[in-house]
Order: sequence, then C-alpha cells, then structure tokens
Amino acid sequence: MKCEWVRENIVLQVYGELADDARHELEQHVARCADCAAELKAEQEFHALLAQDRAADATPNLVAASRMRLQEALETAKQGSFFSRLAFDPANWLRQVKFSPALASAILIFGFAGGIVTTYKFIPHSTTGIVQGPATVPVQTSIAGIDSISQDPNTNQISIKYKAVSEEQKQGSLNDQDIQQLLLYAAHNNYNSGVRVDSVDLLAKRSGDLQVREALMYALQNDTNPGVRLKSLDALGNYVKDDTNVRDAVLRALVNDDNSGVRIEALRLIEPVKADGSVRGVLMALAAKDQSTYIKSQARTMLAQLPEID
Amino acid sequence: MRGRMAGQERRIDDTMLIREAQRGNRAAFEELVRHYDQAVLRLALHLTGTEQDAQDVYQDAFLKAYKNIGNFRFECSFYTWIYRIVTNLCLDHLRKRNVRKEDAPVAKDPSGGEYDLLDQVPDVRAGANPERDLMRRQLGARISGALEKLTPRERMVFELKHYHGLKLRTVGEILQTTEETAKNTLFRATQKLRGALADMR
Repeated sequence: MKCEWVRENIVLQVYGELADDARHELEQHVARCADCAAELKAEQEFHALLAQDRAADATPNLVAASRMRLQEALETAKQGSFFSRLAFDPANWLRQVKFSPALASAILIFGFAGGIVTTYKFIPHSTTGIVQGPATVPVQTSIAGIDSISQDPNTNQISIKYKAVSEEQKQGSLNDQDIQQLLLYAAHNNYNSGVRVDSVDLLAKRSGDLQVREALMYALQNDTNPGVRLKSLDALGNYVKDDTNVRDAVLRALVNDDNSGVRIEALRLIEPVKADGSVRGVLMALAAKDQSTYIKSQARTMLAQLPEID
Repeated sequence: MRGRMAGQERRIDDTMLIREAQRGNRAAFEELVRHYDQAVLRLALHLTGTEQDAQDVYQDAFLKAYKNIGNFRFECSFYTWIYRIVTNLCLDHLRKRNVRKEDAPVAKDPSGGEYDLLDQVPDVRAGANPERDLMRRQLGARISGALEKLTPRERMVFELKHYHGLKLRTVGEILQTTEETAKNTLFRATQKLRGALADMR
C-alpha cells in the first residue's frame, strides 16, 4: 500500500508539487525501501533526459508578425456591447435578480407599465417609420476618405475608391499625377490602415521622388499601425545611404518605435551605414541599455565589426 | 520580496488595462496582449508544431478575448482566463489533428518528407558542437513522437507542467478541473512517456 502511494507520488516529488508533509513521508520511505529508491532514481533520470528538450521561444519576427495580424483584425472586430451583454445573458440576469428583490419588483412594474403603454401607442406609431436614404446628388468637392486601393496584376492599373460627397473612382498608372496625389493623401490621412498599407506599398515603387519619400517618412514616424510603418521603412531602405533625412528618420524609428518588429527592421537597414557617426552613437546607446535583448546583442555585434577609432 | 511587489504591480496594471479594454479602449487591450502574447505563442508553437498554426491559435485566442472581455468578471486571474481560451483552442487543434492522423498515419510536410518539429525551430546554439546538436535533434524528435501519442488532455497537462512550469493548481484552474485530476493526468502522461522512451536511457 505504502509503495503504491509512493510510486504515484514520485512524479509529483520530481516536479516539486508534493506538500511538505507528504514529501517528508516519501523521503523517509525511500530511505528504507530499495525498490522505491530505484524508482525515484529512474524517474529523476527520465526527468533529466526530458529536460534536455526545451520548448523554443517564438522568434521576434513571429511575435511581430502575429501582433501585426492581430492589430489588423482588431480594427474591424466588434466587442460584445454593454447592451448585448445584458440582453443575451439571461442566466446572469436571473442571478442578479435572485439577489436583488428591489430590482425584481422594478422589472415587474416596468413590465406592466410598458405593456400597457405599448398596447395603446405601438399601433399608431408603427405606420410612420420610413427610413430616409442620404441624398444621392453627386457633387465635386474635396475627398473625405479612401476606401480601397487595388492593382490589377495583368494591366498594372491601379483602382482607388474614395469618398467625396459621392463615391468616385480613379484609374491610371503609377505615373499618373492624380493617382500619385491620391496615394499621398491615402498614406497621410486615411482612417483605414489597410488602405494606408496599400498606398505605401505602391508609393514604395516611386521612392526616388522626394515628395514620396517625405510621405513615407511621415508614415514611418506617425502612423499608428506598425504594418504601415514597416512597409514605409522597407520602402525607404535604399535611401539610408544617400539621404541623410531618411537616415535620421530610420534612426528615430530605431530608438523610439514601440514595435520591436519595426525596430529590428530599422536596425537591419542601417547596417550598411553603421560607421556613420550618428549611427554609431545610436548603436552604442542600444548596446548599452536596450530593453530588447535581441536588439542589444545585434547592436553589440555591429559595433564589434567596426574598426576602432581613437 | 521584489518579485512579489513586481507581481502585484503587474496585477494592478492589468486590472486597469482590463477595465479600460472593457470600455472599448483598443490600445489598452493591445497593451494587455503584449503582457501575455509571448508565452501564448511559445505554448501554441510547441503544441501545434508549426509557426502557421501557432499564429492561427494566437489570432483566434486574442480575438476571442477581445470580443468577450466584457464578460470577464475578475472571478479568476486574467492569466488563467487567457490561458483557458488558448488551451481550449489548442485542444481543439490537437483533437482535429488526431482525427486527420487516422487518415494518414505519418504526418508529411509539403515536400513529402516526414515531419520533424525540430526542423521548424531554428536552433541558435547550432554550430558549437554538431555531434551534440544532432543528438539533441534526435532526442527532440523521439520526444515529440512520444508526445503525439498522449491524449490531447494528457498532452496539455504535461505541456503546461513540464515545458511551461505552471503549478498543477493553476493547470487545474485553466482546464476547469481539480488539482487532483491534474495530478492523476500528469502521472498517466509521464508513465506513457516513460514507456515510449524506455530505450533512450
């Protein structure tokens, strides 16, 4: 009986889950019983064998990608509203009513009163409700927001749907001035981050244009969505070497961005210009005290590759 | 002492964030996600074996949490609550995979080779000692093969205890059962694993 109890509890002992008194009892028994001692040793050895296999941590890239995907989904996700919570949880209602006689009688009274009132009022009112649609007169005014941007892979034609007073659509190539203006507007102002991502994606192909680069830098520094920031960062990558404004913007992202995926990408981009004085300064700060151990170690590695300067 | 204070701070911090998230503040919810998501990903990654599936579990879990956070009533810790959502999704995943496995006895990767969990996970320690590295890979493959043979619930209890170091009391709370049941399940799981890996020692 005792041995059987010990066998069942050895695994708990190995995992440190045994209560103090039970642990004492087990240790006492094992000291006297050779069979159980052998069993404990076998379990400990097995535990040591398993311990060589660790569950790997998620890579920073996977964490960043998962967060981005979630943020995108959250933009359209709806929370269960306060009202629906009240309306669709009758069990909870009953629980509350059970403990609150005042609430119960209030509901009863409201029920009676409501029933009487609707009997008299509901029928005449029900015939008057006609829903008025918005006026559909197309007027040319400024743009209110952009709904979608898409590009046909066959023709390279870009379609942008945007809201004015009426909805309009503009088609043209990326070289089209109007299309460019709309894309720049979308990158700056649009309420839908999916559209901002699309516009930054297309603008990236024209990052030789100074105005486009400014829009991309603006997005990198101000966009609330890390996906948009990452896209603009990638688009700016080629200019880190030649355009000091771009370099400064990337460095600012590297220091200030709250998304580690963006920061890791920024660190990768400044790699070719790591010998630059301003870059070296930032790297030293990161190597000394960055909260991300990955960035800290990468910054150290990059610094170590630099020639010493006196 | 400092550890306990930090724990308390986190609790207060989380409570505020939860209340904000319940009022519909998405930024607060996203902050809350950042407190838990690395642990969630690690669990999902080890249980499902692929980054794609782990990401799906992550996405489904936090979306579900977002939609239902209004129903969270502080009756258990948020930690337990979020783990409950994640483990339920993982259990569904394991059950579905067990059904699929009956059709195809050996899981294959897209190129047709046999599936090996460790091939999916980059090993940063590689290179230092190739021989030991190979041994570790073989061991890992054997262990994951043995884990596959556990029932989803046994697998989950073992996973939470062994790889994630949770207390069995917490494991019981997460799986909405008693500590005693969790203990018995852990016992059964280790017995099975010892049987399956008997020749490794």
